[in-house]
Amino acid sequence: MDPRKNKICKKPEEKDCRQTKPCGRREFLKGAAKAAALGGAAMLTGCGGGMLGSKEELSLRWKEYFKKHYRLMTQEEKEGTVRRLESLAKIQNGVNIQMSSTAPIDGVLFGYAFNVTRCEGYMECVAACVKENNLDRKSNMQYIRIFEMEHGQLTPEVGNAKFYHQVPVEDHFYMGVQCNQCQNAPCVKACPTKATWQEPDGIVVVDYDWCIGCRYCIAACPYYGRRFNWNDPVVPEEEMTKKQHYLGNRMRGRGQMEKCTFCVQRSRAGRLPACVEACPTGARVFGNLLDPDSEIRFVLKNKKVFRWKEDLGTDPKFWYFVD
Amino acid sequence: MKTPTLNHWLYGIWVALLIMIPADEAYTAEGGVVDTYKNATAPFDENTVDAALSLPIPSVLVTERYQGGRFWVETRKDKMQRFKCRQCHNNKPVKVTRAAEIAHGQIALKHGSESRPLSCYTCHKKDERDFLVTEQGTKIDMDHSYQMCGQCHFRQKKDWVGGAHGKRISYWAGQRVVKNCTGCHDPHSPRFKKRWPVIYSPPLSKSQ
Repeated sequence: MDPRKNKICKKPEEKDCRQTKPCGRREFLKGAAKAAALGGAAMLTGCGGGMLGSKEELSLRWKEYFKKHYRLMTQEEKEGTVRRLESLAKIQNGVNIQMSSTAPIDGVLFGYAFNVTRCEGYMECVAACVKENNLDRKSNMQYIRIFEMEHGQLTPEVGNAKFYHQVPVEDHFYMGVQCNQCQNAPCVKACPTKATWQEPDGIVVVDYDWCIGCRYCIAACPYYGRRFNWNDPVVPEEEMTKKQHYLGNRMRGRGQMEKCTFCVQRSRAGRLPACVEACPTGARVFGNLLDPDSEIRFVLKNKKVFRWKEDLGTDPKFWYFVD
Repeated sequence: MKTPTLNHWLYGIWVALLIMIPADEAYTAEGGVVDTYKNATAPFDENTVDAALSLPIPSVLVTERYQGGRFWVETRKDKMQRFKCRQCHNNKPVKVTRAAEIAHGQIALKHGSESRPLSCYTCHKKDERDFLVTEQGTKIDMDHSYQMCGQCHFRQKKDWVGGAHGKRISYWAGQRVVKNCTGCHDPHSPRFKKRWPVIYSPPLSKSQ
């Protein structure tokens, strides 16, 4: 028996049974790696430790590397990791960010409705989304795609998303496509590392640090709602949104998935997602599905609504409606 | 010889029904998000979201009620360049030369059908220029211009009161503050203009 292993295993604050179970391998490796690194660090101090950054940075990165899965963290641990990421952003890029780990609000299930009649294809929502969510400017990543469709076309798959001319065009309508935040999400089922899951308020989120970049979720998603970082995202500092959320618009890395989160950093603070706020025609409606007085419930009750690919049983929380 | 076969069939149907009925019930009980929201009838306590309690912008209380009670509309008068109108339009005639062109030259009236377009006094009150006036002659405050537009565009107004038309400002929670009709539409030329999109979508590459 390795005495170290036993020592680490007997953490009194560990109450969650899921936590104590994998104690053996993970915690043992962690302990062993710590010991190895201590030796390594002792050597490094002799020959210029500046190569790997300051001692503080090294310690922060170390702790970040061995943190738990976000869902298994307590609120204090979440606060801790958020503070660490803030300090790391300051040390590594000199950016002052405010990150939060706001929990879902009780009695809230977010729903979204898109008015196909009203959308005119001005793409203000896309621009606002890129800005708000710190999307990669190098690969021109966008969460939202607006499809220009002729009257009579029934699915965006036959529409044109690459239009660039004056809009709106006669006899055409515009249909926005983004993550549908399915209640029965195929991407969640496909993920082999449980790096993506649905939060109690209905938002499907990704723990970027837990993602291994296998892209199974892209293959599983019937709505083309997921995006992959082929390179480290490039966002100019002056354009960066500094108010961030751990599960939302914080900076991702190369080889990580990301997706629309209904702007979790905004919606959990009672604000509208950036796309809804930016829409110049009021084609986007957002609100709490569990609130009978909300606007989204009015739309669902009084307008002609449909969901895209409803027959797949994904149960999306994203409705389209016509006037 | 016929009765046993009939019984056989009946037994078969019974067994099939016994399997199908519970299966059907199980399927419908599973529900999904539509059932979830339809079963949620208790009013939502807005106070659970603490970030959205104050009115973020100047607004006035709407005279009508929506499903959740009272709501507010963004003010209009403080955003108008030359309000109050009676600074020029008092009881005396305006004597400045080309005054209409200087003050209101940018207005291109394109509202109503081509055969019967609207004129200034369809909406503006002739003897009291700070106000609008309905077809029935009711005086309407500029901040409450939705009452004016709702005369003809009653369907849009119904949707606007409920929340399917128009925009809520900034917050989905807290006090409901919405844009006025004039917040998005130019009342003199209400149709949205044809223009270039602000950004374009790059061609789909790799997995995006």
